[in-house]
Amino acid sequence: MGEESRVGVFVCECGGNISNGVDVEAVCKAAQGWKGVVVARNYSYMCSKPGLDMIQSMVKRHNLNRIVIAACTPRMHQVTFARAMKTLGLNPFLLEVVNLREQCSWSHSGEKEAATKKAVSLVRGGVERARSLEPLEASWLDVEQRFLVVGGGIAGITAALELANQGYPVYLVERDPSIGGHMAQFGKVFPTMDCAQCILTPRMVEVGRNPNIKLMTSTELVSVTGGPGKYHVKLFIKPRGVDPEKCTACGVCSKLCEVEVPNEFNMGLDKRKASYLMFPQSVPLVYTIDFNSCTKCGRCAEVCPRKAIDLEDKGKFVEVDVGAIVVATGYELIDLRKFEEYGYGVHKNVITALHLERLLSPFGPTGGYLRRPNDGGDVKKLAYVLCAGSRDLNRGIPYCSRVCCMYSIKQAQVIIDAFLDAQVTLFYIDIRSFGRGFEEFYKSAQEKGVKFVRGRVSEISESGEGCLLVRAEDTLLGVPVEDEFDLVVLCPALVPSPGTAELAEKLSISLGEDGFLMEKHPKLDPVNSLREAVFVGGCVLGPKDIRDSVSEALGAAAKGSTFVKAGKIELSAEKASVEKETCNGCGNCVNICPFGAITLADGKAVVDRLRCLGCGGCVPECKVSALVLHNSTDRQLFGLMRGILVEKADRPIILAFLDYDIAYNAADLIGLARIKYPANVLIVRVPTTARLGKKHILYAFAMGADGVFLGDAHKGAGPLSGASKITEKRLSEISEALDEGGIDSLRLWFSAVYIPDFRKLANTFSNFVSTIAEMGPIDEGARKKILEEIGPVP
Amino acid sequence: MSVRRETLDLRKTDSDFVKRVAESGGEKILLCVQCGTCSGGCPAGRRTAYRTRQVIRRALTGLKDEVLSSQDIWLCSTCYTCLERCPRGINVTDVILILRNLAVQAGFMLKPHKDVSAYLLRTGHAVPIIDKYKALRKELKLPELPPTTHSYPEALDEVRRIANKTGFDKLIGFEG
Repeated sequence: MGEESRVGVFVCECGGNISNGVDVEAVCKAAQGWKGVVVARNYSYMCSKPGLDMIQSMVKRHNLNRIVIAACTPRMHQVTFARAMKTLGLNPFLLEVVNLREQCSWSHSGEKEAATKKAVSLVRGGVERARSLEPLEASWLDVEQRFLVVGGGIAGITAALELANQGYPVYLVERDPSIGGHMAQFGKVFPTMDCAQCILTPRMVEVGRNPNIKLMTSTELVSVTGGPGKYHVKLFIKPRGVDPEKCTACGVCSKLCEVEVPNEFNMGLDKRKASYLMFPQSVPLVYTIDFNSCTKCGRCAEVCPRKAIDLEDKGKFVEVDVGAIVVATGYELIDLRKFEEYGYGVHKNVITALHLERLLSPFGPTGGYLRRPNDGGDVKKLAYVLCAGSRDLNRGIPYCSRVCCMYSIKQAQVIIDAFLDAQVTLFYIDIRSFGRGFEEFYKSAQEKGVKFVRGRVSEISESGEGCLLVRAEDTLLGVPVEDEFDLVVLCPALVPSPGTAELAEKLSISLGEDGFLMEKHPKLDPVNSLREAVFVGGCVLGPKDIRDSVSEALGAAAKGSTFVKAGKIELSAEKASVEKETCNGCGNCVNICPFGAITLADGKAVVDRLRCLGCGGCVPECKVSALVLHNSTDRQLFGLMRGILVEKADRPIILAFLDYDIAYNAADLIGLARIKYPANVLIVRVPTTARLGKKHILYAFAMGADGVFLGDAHKGAGPLSGASKITEKRLSEISEALDEGGIDSLRLWFSAVYIPDFRKLANTFSNFVSTIAEMGPIDEGARKKILEEIGPVP
Repeated sequence: MSVRRETLDLRKTDSDFVKRVAESGGEKILLCVQCGTCSGGCPAGRRTAYRTRQVIRRALTGLKDEVLSSQDIWLCSTCYTCLERCPRGINVTDVILILRNLAVQAGFMLKPHKDVSAYLLRTGHAVPIIDKYKALRKELKLPELPPTTHSYPEALDEVRRIANKTGFDKLIGFEG
């Protein structure tokens, strides 16, 4: 640090979002007196043009060389302010953003005094850190000009075609033997009444013949390593027993096969063979041997005219490198068997709407003729049960399926159009016909004589051979009603496709509370995941209709190509490096690194900048201080702690170190949801808690913390989650040191955090504060003694 | 409940009523979407004018006197079917019991309930033992009288003291 630091502090009011909960003028006033602070100003919107202009003029007038912005979460506008720094000729790493919105004003509403004290502490910490910030330069990585699309439903097909047509090679991976997804099972689609197959099949065929698309069906994703711009993906092509290059889909194998199992594509309404084609329009048009049911009698292999069958197929692993990934793995129906009053799975004539799609399909189990599943008889009267499991806080899922109003109205019309004497009754809670043409579609169903009863079905029982008695209340009449039907169609809640959570873990992206993937921003970044260069679209983000799925897929493809087209990606400067002269070659860091990024060469540690994810776990391991994590140096970290703790916030003071990817993010979500926790919790952002060693924790206590909270990614949550293990390992050693020093080690708490569980984190904060409050103050003598033991810190 | 003939003036409803129900353990009724699952499957409602959903609706609207004075809330057989099935997870049956408590506190109580309660204060039992059961107990080698106020008449005094302290005796018009 040759030059003297001249810090400017800029406190954003966020149009009241911050200033209603924090006295921003008091914060500025306090900051004026701190060492190194040249100017402190508050303003209504710091991120706006006038706000940025004001910062610019202050930088010039006061010759500032460090900027502290106290505003919303750095996740929101760190980039905005860093860009502004660049235009001023300042290195963007000389910026410190302090979170006064999500983690202060929004989390402590109604406690302005305490929140203001907390804000002063946090800003002082920011100023102290800013004074020791160092300029850093980023490096660049070439982006692979290829894509991986996971999921071969309409969303994945759309994204793959869009990217392929832009000229990018695409690997389209689908776990079933054919692409098409749920849409391939549908008959007609609302509100246009197009035939689903007629609009889908041409797209599927296009996928099959596009030279840029490498279609990989019966394939699953095994693992993903690397990072944005160069993801290394391992795939497993499951054994399908048939060589796709040789098979001509003549079907001889299937005709001969004697094994019969329920046909999943037709919802188990008929049977298929162990050697089968998912459906006639399958792409690729290739048979598959279902090895779960195949008896390996060998006859199919004998008769196959092309000798395409290999019953010893073991599948194979394939590895590919791609620049970006699109995830479009869709949805599944909820299992309605637990709703015993509907009798689904007990009464044969209680089915789901997806069964009905197959019953109405010309290539379905009945050739498109609507028959009762129990006896094949005619269906004269049928009932629809909307919201089966949806909007159900008791046994189902809380959200709306978004499609069951419209598809039930569609099916009712298809049935009435095809079978003029059929009577259809819809039992509903609300009809949500929000899309273009939807309300008109509802009206046309009314005109066709569909009966609408406003009441949720309460129970279904058998009232005779295959006849079903349905009970509900007609809530508009205010009377319980009952009626008899030949068929009852349940409209099930839509849930994430099986394996969504595992896939998210492999890709290190986040799930929402509902189990669907989470987008980067629900409004403004709807098709970005929380990880760079992983894009998302379709029902994997929550239930939606075909049009919306296609729109998102197009968006994901567009965002993906924008990313890849740039050709290069900035590699974070926040990585570890070794001071060669100091390194003694002990190898501690090599052993601790969870990502295998450090090796020894000529007796000195060397960090691979591509592999290093910047967790910081290696730094405390180094006994000779040869390792440094850039932008999270010891000088910065100790300065930050000192700054926060020197301003006395309300006791007990809890210093909460949260990893930036997961726990810090969860703390932001707490604020966003306006959930309150005590203002005693002062959050410090760290790359991961593994960055902290014994010395850091002891220092926090010595300098005045009454409790230290470590929050880090739950196993599998985020690319850096592997570093939590390091922290857990260090805990016992640190606890021992605390107990020896006369500080109860229960004052140190570690929590594994999972973003969807952010409410739990808020609770944990509150509980920890009350636990520490009950324990009472720490003996000042003990603090002093520990400080002496630690010795000097940078 | 009869059909209303005039406009309901929402300014005259009691907006605190639902808060009181909520505070007494019925806070989930705020989540009600009036789907009718409760009344559609209600065995009591199939034979009487009892409409669970409408009781909840009236409570949410703040029609306090109408809810508490109505005989409807006493028609529930507490079979808990509605609570099992309610998609909003509302403890419907408990809400009905809360409403009964509030009704009683407000002085709305049917004569049979008062009579039964009076019996309780008079004998310590809503249903005192009869000779038939005394004989049955004997046959089963049990003491003829159960270990209740039947065996310990002095405990009856305590029961009455509780009733007196809580004002329950006045509510039911019990005069010793």
